[in-house]
Amino acid sequence: MGNPRDVVIVEGVRTPFAKAGTKLAEVHASELGKVALTELIAKTDLDVNQVDEVIIGNTGTPSDAVNISRVVALNSGVPQNVSAFTVHRNCASALESIASGYERIKSGTADVILAGGTESMSQMPLVFNKGFTDFMMNLQKARTTGAKLSLLSEFKLKFLKPRITLMEGLTDPFVGINMGQTAENIAKDFAISRVRQDEFALRSHQRATAAHEKLAQEMTPVFLPPKYKKVVEEDVGPRAEQTIEALQKLRPFFDKKYGTITAGNSCPITDGAAMMLLMSREKAESLGYEPIASIKSYAFAGCEPSRMGLGPVHSTPVALKRAGLELKDMGLVELNEAFAAQVIGCQEAFASDKYAQEKLGLSKAVGEVSDDILNVNGGAIALGHPVGTTGTRLVLTLMKEMQRRSDVQFGLATLCIGGGQGGSMIIEKEA
Amino acid sequence: MAVEGINVIEREDGVAVLELDLAGEKVNKFSTPVMQHFDEMLEKMMSAKYKGLVVISRKPKIFIAGADINEIKDIVEPADAKQKAAEGQRILSKFEDLPFPVVVAIHGACMGGGCEMALACDYRICTDDKSTRIGLPEVQLGIIPGFGGCVRLPRVVGIQAALDIILAGKAVDSRKAKKIGLVDDVVPQSMLEEAAIKKVLEVAGKGKRKKKFQAKGFVPGLLEGPAKFVVFNQAEKMVKKNTKGHYPAPLKALEAVKKTYGMSNREKALDIEASLFSEVAITDISKNLIHIFFMTESIKKQTGVHDKDVKPKAIKNMGVLGAGTMGGGIAQLGADKGIEVRVKDLNNDALSKAFVAAASIWEKKLKRRRMTKFEFKEKMGRVSGGTDYAGFGRMDLVVEAIVEDMKIKQSVIGETAKHMPEDAIIATNTSSLSVTEMAKGHPKPENFGGMHFFNPVHKMPLVEVIRGEKTSDVTTATIFDLSKKMGKFPVVVKDGPGFLVNRLLLPYLNEAMYLLEEGMSIEEVDKYYLKFGMPMGPFHLIDEVGIDVSVKVAKIFHEAFGERAKPSPLMSKIMETGRLGKKNQKGFYLYDEKGKKLELDQSVYKDLGLSTPTNPYNAELCVNRGIFAMLNEAVRALVDDKIVEKAEEVDLAMIMGTGFPPFKGGLMKYADSIGTRKITDELLRFADDVGARFKPAESLMKMADGNEKFYDKF
Repeated sequence: MGNPRDVVIVEGVRTPFAKAGTKLAEVHASELGKVALTELIAKTDLDVNQVDEVIIGNTGTPSDAVNISRVVALNSGVPQNVSAFTVHRNCASALESIASGYERIKSGTADVILAGGTESMSQMPLVFNKGFTDFMMNLQKARTTGAKLSLLSEFKLKFLKPRITLMEGLTDPFVGINMGQTAENIAKDFAISRVRQDEFALRSHQRATAAHEKLAQEMTPVFLPPKYKKVVEEDVGPRAEQTIEALQKLRPFFDKKYGTITAGNSCPITDGAAMMLLMSREKAESLGYEPIASIKSYAFAGCEPSRMGLGPVHSTPVALKRAGLELKDMGLVELNEAFAAQVIGCQEAFASDKYAQEKLGLSKAVGEVSDDILNVNGGAIALGHPVGTTGTRLVLTLMKEMQRRSDVQFGLATLCIGGGQGGSMIIEKEA
Repeated sequence: MAVEGINVIEREDGVAVLELDLAGEKVNKFSTPVMQHFDEMLEKMMSAKYKGLVVISRKPKIFIAGADINEIKDIVEPADAKQKAAEGQRILSKFEDLPFPVVVAIHGACMGGGCEMALACDYRICTDDKSTRIGLPEVQLGIIPGFGGCVRLPRVVGIQAALDIILAGKAVDSRKAKKIGLVDDVVPQSMLEEAAIKKVLEVAGKGKRKKKFQAKGFVPGLLEGPAKFVVFNQAEKMVKKNTKGHYPAPLKALEAVKKTYGMSNREKALDIEASLFSEVAITDISKNLIHIFFMTESIKKQTGVHDKDVKPKAIKNMGVLGAGTMGGGIAQLGADKGIEVRVKDLNNDALSKAFVAAASIWEKKLKRRRMTKFEFKEKMGRVSGGTDYAGFGRMDLVVEAIVEDMKIKQSVIGETAKHMPEDAIIATNTSSLSVTEMAKGHPKPENFGGMHFFNPVHKMPLVEVIRGEKTSDVTTATIFDLSKKMGKFPVVVKDGPGFLVNRLLLPYLNEAMYLLEEGMSIEEVDKYYLKFGMPMGPFHLIDEVGIDVSVKVAKIFHEAFGERAKPSPLMSKIMETGRLGKKNQKGFYLYDEKGKKLELDQSVYKDLGLSTPTNPYNAELCVNRGIFAMLNEAVRALVDDKIVEKAEEVDLAMIMGTGFPPFKGGLMKYADSIGTRKITDELLRFADDVGARFKPAESLMKMADGNEKFYDKF
């Protein structure tokens, strides 16, 4: 039953995730996206002529594939007459792709949308600084040998200092602090101890390791170009042998003196892609599909850039209100683990009347997110966080787990967004 | 017969346009009536006061396809051949001598006589379209350019570039044509006529062009001038190496260029060309090559079934079961031709082999700049794979290329059919199992047939399309059509052990083993067959196919055909020595890691319990034993079992599938050239001297009574 314009999720697929610089380092983001999208199309036996639009999230914007969505679509066998665009909402780019698809389907503009995200953080380039760029441009403009020589004499060594796009991307452009420092702020605000964070991180690894078989069901292998001889079949991140002692030994990375955020209780920068097939209910029915979930609502909301990690607390009540539901209705929650401190901070803020009143303009707390329903198959600390992909991964993992459980009707996928935003999406189990 | 569709239109600006749109023909070609008509037109044009002339075709993707090959085929007397060439030369010289500038505007194929006509013009402009190809393919038909091509091309593009085209019978695209100076300009199709007219107006009144090739740089200048003998010697070496002495045309063409280059007397130069043309045009080799050309052209028009109303299904999505050598090759080829391919195998390691195979073939093209990295990515993107049946729900056709085991195949086929659309087709790539029997595994056997590729898939041009007892016309036509789309020559064969090619090949290979047993050396036998024209000797071929495979197939044939197919005892003996052929680098010959053939494995005689070879037989006897054994089986397949319907299908299959020497026109054509009487006598003699397996087929003996020819009867 339901409305013919309900937006349903037919299926989703992702590649394994690999810490940047490791197994998937040589694979271009468009290739990662292609692998996931090709498999999704195959898995659903989709007639690609039915597709209305391809929407893909990506933050690195590779300069040789600036509208990467179009590149992925064409390389995946999507016909040339189907349009494609790329969305960028930083860490929520892939969630934005689903939201954009949702709006198009809900409004009747489209019936079949391929939405997803792809990211190669390994391949985010170093760029020349402004001084060197100007130098090169002037050199090209110089006509005579004399002019060229005199320009060459102006060369300075500091021209060779590159701008590291990856680091710049992880730095807040409004307040100028690194994402890790925004997590330090939260840890200090809520007095979240180092050991609590490390225990959270340990649990992420334990849960991801235990869920190995389950996670395998949402994945397709990546055969590595250019030779295609080697194949990556599983996530690189989860460590079965992770111990609390090892985590405790790590030194704080961002605030060496009073800090608690370490590489161990943060998510690693990661490569990976994930794709989803969205349809209107009526289209899915007419094509004979049995969707896994339907999208009840979504919301994005802004918050303090220097405490961007609390974004989910801001966007979730809006999404809940739009769905006509409450936090206690959520049987499962996927909250992206950018930093253990930030996830714990969200749990605290969700449950706090004070936070609700002061920051959200609500009379009482949003509600509890218990450890039992939060990231039950582990999260980004173990799996990794390919920035432009994670939104899809959260919804994918969530809906697959909801499918496995008979007692869960609704689920929440939410994440914090660099720059000070939160994104939330509420889905309902189908069938 | 009046020739229509070739007209001159004079424009207001004084430029005349010669339009080529031969009525009643798909393409423009130079038949005798067309040439005569053209001659008459030239007569009038000679006194016309045009500012200049533009020559342009009004056919969609063709300028001039060349001379009428049927006419060349029919020439038997050298004098006729020479007269034919001389007549064409005379007309094109007349054309060249028109008193005003002539600009040819080329779009589409400009081959043979068409190219020679273009060479007689003052200026050449062509389009950048993919269909635009300019060349002289004559040597591929066993002849040489005879309308002045050997004389004029070197003058326009230099000796090196000219020999490159003439000796290989090549055609060049617009980019290459511009680079070597064959055309003066390349323009988009929509601007072609305009550009040609502009050129005429630009040069009008300035007289005729006197273009002569000028080499750029010191060394090229030497090679095109005083040191041109170096180029000629080099070319001769190359030709001899490539043709192994079996094809005289390239050497004659070389001779024509060599003798006429730099000659100031045009008529004398053309006369030399005409003489040399007449020497090759009458040869059996040329007739045979033309015969093959017509066979391949006829395949393009065929559908694989008799019922003309049957239409093949379009294949957009293709599945491949099994990522081995054959499966990987088939996947690569499909994706290369724009089909979305999905490979299935048992695990990812096996699966990766298909990707590796596809990538490595395209990588070679990438390295040779025959492909851009973008095309590489696009094509690679069309090959995906999995260990489950994901994607099979939208497959139009699946090719099965798993292990050669009837039970496993039947069960996999049944399971696969369940995951596919109801009317989808499954085709097996089996080389030795019964398609009819295998079809029992398919819930709808009418949707099942054979599609037998040869190894290596991307190189071997033949596909045997196998009709099982229940295979429907639509299924057959679809596999036939798909084979053509994949760039292959399909031949429809009836189900039966070894189908056609392997059935004929096996007695031939078996005979080589018997020769070995009787004291012939491996190298001598292989050498004799190379001399006969086979691309490799039988022992080398067994190594390529794999000794294990050969033994297995030999066994199947023995069971199927009884005594006459009894394998030589050496067959099983060689298996026991641990030799598998090229795949384990050790067969009759040794191979390096990359599969390159090294020297003979001298220990093979001892291992087989043979004494030092005494080579008791001469070349003729050795070759006849193998070829006649093959032929005897061919008669049974063609006449008795009707595996194929026509003699020419046997010939096409053997040429494309085994490299049977094209200059002999194919196996049956070769047989006809010897005569069924003589072949039968020889077989009877072998049956007495060597073994009963040579006993001629009944139907062959019947034909021998009247010395009937296969091509007359089948």
